[in-house]
Amino acid sequence: MKPGTRLKSASDDTEVMVIRCGSGTIECGGAPMGEAKPAEAAALNPDFAEGTLMGKRYVDEAGEYELLCVKPGKGSLSVDGVKLVTKDAKPLPASD
Amino acid sequence: MTQVMKGVRVLEVAQFVFVPSAGAVLADWGADVVKVEHPLRGDAQRGARSIGGMTFDPVANPMMQHPNRGKRSIAIDLAHPEGRELVYELARDADVFLTNYLPSVRQKLGIDLEHIRAVNPKIIYARGSGYGDKGPDRDRGGYDMTAFWIHSGIAHAMTPQEFDVPLQMGVGGMGDSTAGMNLAGGVAAALFHRERTGEPSEVDVSLLSTAMWMSGMVIAPYLHGGDMMRIGLPKVGGAPVNPFMGHFQTSDGRVISLFVLVPDPVIRDTFEHLGLPEAANDPRFASSAGLREHSAEISDLVARAFASQTFDYWRERLKTMKGQWAAVQSFLDLGGDEQAIANDAFFAVEPIDGSDPVRVVRSPVQFDRAAIASSRAPEHSEHTETALLELGLDWERIERLKASGAIA
Repeated sequence: MKPGTRLKSASDDTEVMVIRCGSGTIECGGAPMGEAKPAEAAALNPDFAEGTLMGKRYVDEAGEYELLCVKPGKGSLSVDGVKLVTKDAKPLPASD
Repeated sequence: MTQVMKGVRVLEVAQFVFVPSAGAVLADWGADVVKVEHPLRGDAQRGARSIGGMTFDPVANPMMQHPNRGKRSIAIDLAHPEGRELVYELARDADVFLTNYLPSVRQKLGIDLEHIRAVNPKIIYARGSGYGDKGPDRDRGGYDMTAFWIHSGIAHAMTPQEFDVPLQMGVGGMGDSTAGMNLAGGVAAALFHRERTGEPSEVDVSLLSTAMWMSGMVIAPYLHGGDMMRIGLPKVGGAPVNPFMGHFQTSDGRVISLFVLVPDPVIRDTFEHLGLPEAANDPRFASSAGLREHSAEISDLVARAFASQTFDYWRERLKTMKGQWAAVQSFLDLGGDEQAIANDAFFAVEPIDGSDPVRVVRSPVQFDRAAIASSRAPEHSEHTETALLELGLDWERIERLKASGAIA
């Protein structure tokens, strides 16, 4: 899959922009994502239902995948059943 | 609100509050502000999450929202040669370059005036600093707590002389946000000048120059006369020279401040509003000279009057008084302040996690009597790829930049 491809969730409102990817299956809410939404929505798997956040990047541990959330939803992003985690800035703590 | 800066493109290479708050003002006014952040750490302000004993979640951090609302975020490593090249490409398209990096760092990173002007001779180059871009301290870092509050003399002037050390700057970011507003004003004037003459300007605002301007009304006479006023510990009651100036406690322990600077025309009106008709008719108190002469006695009368009724009573009662006064409020009170709200004091931004909207204070200038419409601060690197695509890069180059670590 090419970087820049937009994928839609089959089970919720989530949409992502693919920034980096390998050859596994990208899923949301437990169901494979596609460039078009399927005619019939897939069920949201309760094990993959923590929600996605607009503007956040989701990555795997190996650094093979990176997805940018462009529309949030109720599902969790995963690749071949393994959940992705958010990639966050790591600023030094400061207090005011 | 009229987007007076619509179409103006601002490239911000800045951290913390001061210069980012200038970007926030320009964004409030409709400019397209792209903020460059470090690919791993992001703006250092993202680490400021604790205040007043509270710690906020990074995705809904109000301390990040205030100086960054309405912007886009692009994560570029300025120390990487390809990252630097990318910043030049962004600068080529920008009207304004905003930075608070220190001079030595700007030189090292190649983002100083000569580097940015080399790619865009018409760009307005705006610097925010602690102590100014000239002189021995030009390369010295500063926070508003240091350059604005302490070095400027403001802390000294605000501290009762009974204290050995200055008061703490109890409002974090107050120097930063004010200096940021000044910088935004300078940028607006420079854009106007460029529009008329075609000439771009360098714009400098420091935390120190901001503090000195704020205090200029007293600095000029103090320096000219060679002496200055020191304040003492605040206390309840009227001032010896004018008993209608001072702080008075109400029956429920709140405070009303009177500031009847020119009392003569309103002596009767003031006494009557304070429920002191006998005093209003007392010939000894009929002029400002009389008020001064009997100030201790009058201060006592006024203090007893205030102490006999509640705060809410006095707030209602004094609405028709001709002399000036104010009720002592907290910032928490301000959140429900009818007058502030009637003037569109806040706008709400929606955190990405769906939690309660964050009310941020609008920047102080209003155009055409209309409220500001803006949006939340960006997530770190939220717009890296979309902004680069917009700039004309293709995915192949974006992938290469990513692989090399030049972008997040």
